[in-house]
Amino acid sequence: MPSLSSKRKIIAQHNPRSPISEAYVKLRTNIELSAVDSPIQVIMTTSANPGDGKSTTASNLGVVYAQAEKKTLIIDADLRKPTMHHYFMLSNRGGLTSVLTNQSRFESVVRDTSTPNLQVLTSGPIPPNPSELLSSKRMSHLIEELRSQYDTIIIDSPPTLAVADAQIISTLTDGVLLVLSSGNTKRDLALKAKASLEHAKARILGVVLNNMDRKNADAYYYYYGATEE
Amino acid sequence: MELELELKDYVKIVRKRLWLILTVVVLASIAAGVVSMYVLKPVYEASTKLIVNQSNEAATGMQQLDLNAVNLNLRLIDTYKEIIKTPAIMDKVMSEHPKFGLTAGELSDKVRVSSVNNTQVMTLVVEDGSYERAAAIVNAISIVFQREIPSIMNVDNVSILNEAPSNASPSPVKPNVKLNIAIAFVVSLMVMLGIAFLLEYLDDTIKTERDVETVIGLPTLTAIAKTTDEDFTHGAKSSKRKVTDKRAVLEQ
Repeated sequence: MPSLSSKRKIIAQHNPRSPISEAYVKLRTNIELSAVDSPIQVIMTTSANPGDGKSTTASNLGVVYAQAEKKTLIIDADLRKPTMHHYFMLSNRGGLTSVLTNQSRFESVVRDTSTPNLQVLTSGPIPPNPSELLSSKRMSHLIEELRSQYDTIIIDSPPTLAVADAQIISTLTDGVLLVLSSGNTKRDLALKAKASLEHAKARILGVVLNNMDRKNADAYYYYYGATEE
Repeated sequence: MELELELKDYVKIVRKRLWLILTVVVLASIAAGVVSMYVLKPVYEASTKLIVNQSNEAATGMQQLDLNAVNLNLRLIDTYKEIIKTPAIMDKVMSEHPKFGLTAGELSDKVRVSSVNNTQVMTLVVEDGSYERAAAIVNAISIVFQREIPSIMNVDNVSILNEAPSNASPSPVKPNVKLNIAIAFVVSLMVMLGIAFLLEYLDDTIKTERDVETVIGLPTLTAIAKTTDEDFTHGAKSSKRKVTDKRAVLEQ
């Protein structure tokens, strides 16, 4: 079990050479490969249950996109249990909700990170009506505007099964990553998550299989990218 | 549900819970050994052998073995096996030896009568917590049986080959420590393997890329291993070392 300290650290930032960082690079590559006819610019991460690792995936994926010289923005749209500001150690005084409620301008609340090319829009104060805010016109306008300013936008959303937020957000995105936790996510819940996303006409790019046993996951690294010294 | 399990999967399932299986099996075997050695009371066995042989009174000097007589005796053995266990014999034994403190029923449960096929030898075996008592009982039964047969069957053809020595000190026949340990080992191993497979069967979580493919019907874009603190300090070298080692071996 990872300790809490390592749980909230972004491995792609701290140790880009680790096999796990390589696995995120592989994810980026595979997303780019699946964009045959339409480019995938706005990506949402979600999972069936809380704690399966969607925010970890969102933050690391943002870092590896930025490392590939892409101007990248991570938006924390999990307005129920926001975590992005913990990952990047940012203040969450202003963020997405303050932009959506016209309290502040996007430019004043978006934050730089220690990774060049990577900016983060934290969730902002937790509102009483997250679903309404996310389905507002203001939200879809914001995403449309940001498409012209960034190469890649990664939106972290709440788990699919608890609330409809993920379905609402998915309509604004080009593709959805479903994060499943090996040995933890139940089959039927994973299927339900998939069904609810499909119901919202989301384009599911594929699955990020988290929490794999080393032995199974190692097979990937042998064939992938790590350079020798 | 994918029901096709390959041998590889079986090995994996067992390896996943190997420690649990080994622990329980070892503990069960040790427990069986301890119980057999220290808890269970030892049981001793004493036996006598009787021979069923028509003493041919007509034949004087020339003891001719008549095949018919032998066959008759073989048939008789089955009858005698039953007779020994009847109250006719048992009650007499009891009334002559009240010190055994057993009822006729208990006594007939205690005694085992066997004969090797097509021989005229019968073996009486009695098991008891004390060897001396077992020997006394089995000898008493043999003597009474030999004495009573003429009046029951009108034929005097049973003689005692050997009595149970009352002063011997054989090792107990029960509990068989090695056998008990072996049984505990095998049974607990089977049970634990069953439990391991049952747990696996009841575990309905997504585990591998193949599960994602077959159950969810989505491609796996990447697999992220469990992150440890080590991952934050070590580069890809550590996990590549195995591969480079193999390569080095190949190059030599």
